Amino acid sequence: MWHAGGVTDEDRLSRAQARTIIGRVFKMAAPFRKTMYMGFACVIVTTCCALAAPVIVRHGIDAGIRAKNTRALDQSVVMYLAVVTLSYIFGRMLFLYVNRTGEMFLRVLRLAVFRQMQRQSMAFFDRNKAGVLVARMTADIESMAELVQFGLLQFLSAGLMLCFSIIVLLLLSWQLTLVALCVMPIIVLASIKFQRDSNKAYLTVRERVGTNLSALQEGITTVRVIQAYAQEQETKDKFFTSNRALFDSHERSVRISTWYFALVEFSGVFASAMMIGVGGWLVHRGDVTLGTVVAFTLLISSLFDPVQQLSQLYNTVQSAGAALSKLFAILDAKPEVDEHPAAISLPISGVLKVDSISFTYATGEHPALNNVSISVAPGEKLALVGPTGAGKSTLAKLMARMYDPVSGTVSYGGVNLTMATMDSLRQRIVVVPQEGFLFNGTIRDNLRIAKTSATDAEIDAAVEAISATEHFAQFPDGLDTEVRERGSRLSAGERQLVALARAALVDPAVLVLDEATSNLDPGTEAEVERALERLMSGRTVIVVAHRLSTVQRADHIAVIDAAQVAEYGTHTELIAKNGRYAALANAWQTSQIVN
Amino acid sequence: MSTIETDAEVATRQEFEQTQRSEGWKLLRGMLRDQRRNLLLGALIGISWAGFKTTVPQMTKNAINQGIERDGPLLKWVLIIAGLGVLTGVLSGMRRYVAFRESRWAETLLRERLFAHLIGLNVGYHDKAQTGQLMSRASSDLMQIQGFIVMIPITLSNVIQIIAVTAILFYTDPVLALVALVPLPFVNISARRFSNRIHPASIAVQAEQAQLASVVEESVSGVRVIKGFGAEQVQFDKLRKEADDIFGETMKAAKIRSSFLPAIDVLPALGLVGVLGVGGHRVLSGQITIGDLVAFNVYLTLLIWPLRNIGMIVALGQRAAAALVRIHEVLSTESTITDPVNPQQLPSVATGSTTLGAVKFDHVQFGYSADQPVLRNFTIDIAGGESIAIVGATGSGKSTVTRLLLRFYDTNSGHVYLDGVDVRKLKLRDLRQQIGVVFEDTVLFNDTVANNIAFAKPTAGQQDLERAAKLAGAHDFIGGLPHGYETVIGERGFSLSGGQRQRIAIARAIIADPRVLVLDDATSAVDPSKEGEIREAMRTVMSGRTTIVIAHRPGTIALADRVVLLDGGTIAAIGTHEQLAATNTRYREVLASMDQPKKEAD
Repeated sequence: MWHAGGVTDEDRLSRAQARTIIGRVFKMAAPFRKTMYMGFACVIVTTCCALAAPVIVRHGIDAGIRAKNTRALDQSVVMYLAVVTLSYIFGRMLFLYVNRTGEMFLRVLRLAVFRQMQRQSMAFFDRNKAGVLVARMTADIESMAELVQFGLLQFLSAGLMLCFSIIVLLLLSWQLTLVALCVMPIIVLASIKFQRDSNKAYLTVRERVGTNLSALQEGITTVRVIQAYAQEQETKDKFFTSNRALFDSHERSVRISTWYFALVEFSGVFASAMMIGVGGWLVHRGDVTLGTVVAFTLLISSLFDPVQQLSQLYNTVQSAGAALSKLFAILDAKPEVDEHPAAISLPISGVLKVDSISFTYATGEHPALNNVSISVAPGEKLALVGPTGAGKSTLAKLMARMYDPVSGTVSYGGVNLTMATMDSLRQRIVVVPQEGFLFNGTIRDNLRIAKTSATDAEIDAAVEAISATEHFAQFPDGLDTEVRERGSRLSAGERQLVALARAALVDPAVLVLDEATSNLDPGTEAEVERALERLMSGRTVIVVAHRLSTVQRADHIAVIDAAQVAEYGTHTELIAKNGRYAALANAWQTSQIVN
Repeated sequence: MSTIETDAEVATRQEFEQTQRSEGWKLLRGMLRDQRRNLLLGALIGISWAGFKTTVPQMTKNAINQGIERDGPLLKWVLIIAGLGVLTGVLSGMRRYVAFRESRWAETLLRERLFAHLIGLNVGYHDKAQTGQLMSRASSDLMQIQGFIVMIPITLSNVIQIIAVTAILFYTDPVLALVALVPLPFVNISARRFSNRIHPASIAVQAEQAQLASVVEESVSGVRVIKGFGAEQVQFDKLRKEADDIFGETMKAAKIRSSFLPAIDVLPALGLVGVLGVGGHRVLSGQITIGDLVAFNVYLTLLIWPLRNIGMIVALGQRAAAALVRIHEVLSTESTITDPVNPQQLPSVATGSTTLGAVKFDHVQFGYSADQPVLRNFTIDIAGGESIAIVGATGSGKSTVTRLLLRFYDTNSGHVYLDGVDVRKLKLRDLRQQIGVVFEDTVLFNDTVANNIAFAKPTAGQQDLERAAKLAGAHDFIGGLPHGYETVIGERGFSLSGGQRQRIAIARAIIADPRVLVLDDATSAVDPSKEGEIREAMRTVMSGRTTIVIAHRPGTIALADRVVLLDGGTIAAIGTHEQLAATNTRYREVLASMDQPKKEAD
């Protein structure tokens, strides 16, 4: 309805912003501008038809009925019929052209924004919350769909209608037009005030709908806790409070529209009373004809309705503008990690060397890494340990070029990672995150994410390489089993197996592992361990370790503390040193021993 | 999509749907009964509005015939029309207000009923139900119903208006009325057909939008994987397919609009053409006045909206009926776990009992579905104050024990006792208030720390809070939060670490001083280096209280007096940790699978 889009104050656009946005929209619409122009043409024709009708009626009354001229009457009837037919035909075309233009635009917008989003580097995804990015691609674009399907059309025809009807009215009688324009300020002022108040009321409603829905969702998702603690009544009371608050805001918004629609209805009738009063007097004086008066009473709504429509559309247009400006911001974002124009392939094998790098997250104040150097020989296993937030995961991410260092270099086989082609980088270095992430689709689809061109045989080989063939064979359709929403059908351990199989499919020289902090279900834990072991053998491995057992298997251990390498050496060396690592190892041991 | 049904099946299905629908309507009638006074008022306002509204063209006609065509009193008619403008304006505003307010009120009350019902439904229902489905009952289904209710008073006055206008037109000139009205029923028919066809089309668009959203969602959450493997193109192709599908579906909807909406606009105009042609000749031949002709024109425009609306309300009603059926389905689901008719009291210190918190499972058989038993012949006697660790592989039925004790589910056969009373003989509130649970996935509310801890005992004072928090080892870190106990935590508040969340959950479990404490391994989701702290907290709160620990980590087992090894739904062994470790191979196996790191560390 007319509440389609509420606009918060910070979303309001300046004139210059609005102009830029309109310019860009037209540029994006260039490929289908013919469709767009056809749409415009149809709007003009239908508007003209709508205004022609009362003029024809006037002709029929004045030239036909009052002049007792049957021919003129019949003529105007035929003309009327022709205009109605024309407006029907163009009306149909109008819907198709305008909708087509709008939807084509949205399609182009969706693709462009998504592609640009995907080009962004990790830092972008740290800065922008996942929910916000999803909202850009869904709610923001869909909010424009409303405008595209109804609004744009209404906006165009209302605008044209307003302009054309003033012209037509002036041509018919300037005196009566003056009278109509005297009543119009009531409508205009009321519409502006209504638009402002209802926008405010709508924003409150929207906020409370959100709060109420979260309360509802929280109640449903936490029902086990609520029942376990017998707090049903208290929870209901809390929900009722938010529900009543929502009702109150609905009620207020209805109250605002009540007086407005009352006024709109009144001014319509009042205006026709004025037309008849003043018009009758003018007829008596012989200034206008009766037909003109009748035409005016019919046309008055073409003057008032567009004002209402435009004011109601104002918010929709504003919020679409706001949505567009956010979307354009994404289109304008430059990816921080991008392929260098003169990028070369990384060598097949080599030393992974971190040379005095520093790094600060865009969201962080302090450097996450400060002048860190470390090198990992081919086939070597390096464990990164240290307190949470000390920088070990960051270091691992930089070693896989998820981010670029602010200063210093990361190189593989002597080639700076920033100079490597993305393809070769992804083939040499693979990151296995803490939790196996699954996409909708089958297990096989999920493996193929790692290598789009992989044949079924290659996929089978990868699964075999981590000794998981048997495990996946247990599923009803084997590898072709649908994982269901976000892999809900698979246990955490099984999802981890998929993640490891993906890595095996790529067969990289370097593996970067982020070890899970929490325990997996005991059943699959052993299998994951075995898979990991097989995957690691013969490869360079950098592992962010949370467990003693993992650390002990590493060739070298680096203790990262306060954004720097605090200690480096083998397990035995570091234990002997009796420093931070020794203390950490001790803490791990005691926490796990059954006394 | 379509499956072949036999005639008999179709008949049964239709019959079933018919009963469902009438149940749905019954629900609506029940809701509206309580609001009938205001709805009646709304209808009266609507009827008077329609009355005055239909008078306006009559007055216009009088003004033209008497005031303009002849030299009659013009001003009188103008003032009457303006006066009618005030009346119709006020009444139309009031009609709108009553309609919207009452429909929102009905929606609000129904949402509360739905919520209250859902919160009270047994856990078994919630385990099967999808949150998204339930949410859409309480949001989009209610919206459909609200959209229908709002139309009720409006439709009523519309019907009156149509009848009145038709009567006046026929009274003025039956022939002309016939000419003018012929195209109008088609407005109604078209509006109804349009509504019926556009609805599935927009549902289809929404479905495509949801699919696109899920591609975007997984692409954003899985960005590490996508970047890590350079799979951007795979996701882009998925997205393009969805974007194309949306385009296709929206264009289908646009076609439907284009074939109905212009027609709906044009049909009344055809009536106007007829009025000008036929009516013009009738004025010329002196059968009617020119004022009649103008009035006819105005009357016809008065009919357009009511006819469209009535067309729409039929379709709206069909949708509301479907929504009502779905809501009725939820509301008519009875909880399978309810308070007993004659509840017993738990023995307490007042009634002379000394040790409280004895739990007994007596030959319990249970399965979530009939053919898959989860617990078989499960029997155990836990003395008051004793602590028991339940150990077993995944799927051995460990967590089920808790669910039966809390009466989230009832046993298939056998009994569960708390302090000698069958849990089925106790009021749910009495039973559950005596059991403090820390669930495996710590669920906290979007609320302050204080309210989270005091959840089980809303009357708790600051002292109680702090005592519980101290016992759970949470007091110190809470002091370090930005607003201490008043810090809002959760999704929209301050985010806590897994260990901190666990300790708050433990504090919540003990604040009401329950007889039995159930810890569904409170350390499993915690960074191993933080395990020690949690375990310390657990040790403190367990002392002197009956405790059942569902253990996932060996360190936790050590806290218990006795260990129960569950295997395949039955108790494989009971004993102390040392006994079992020494004598039971299966126990050692399960233990080993839990604690690989430890094994290697030795």
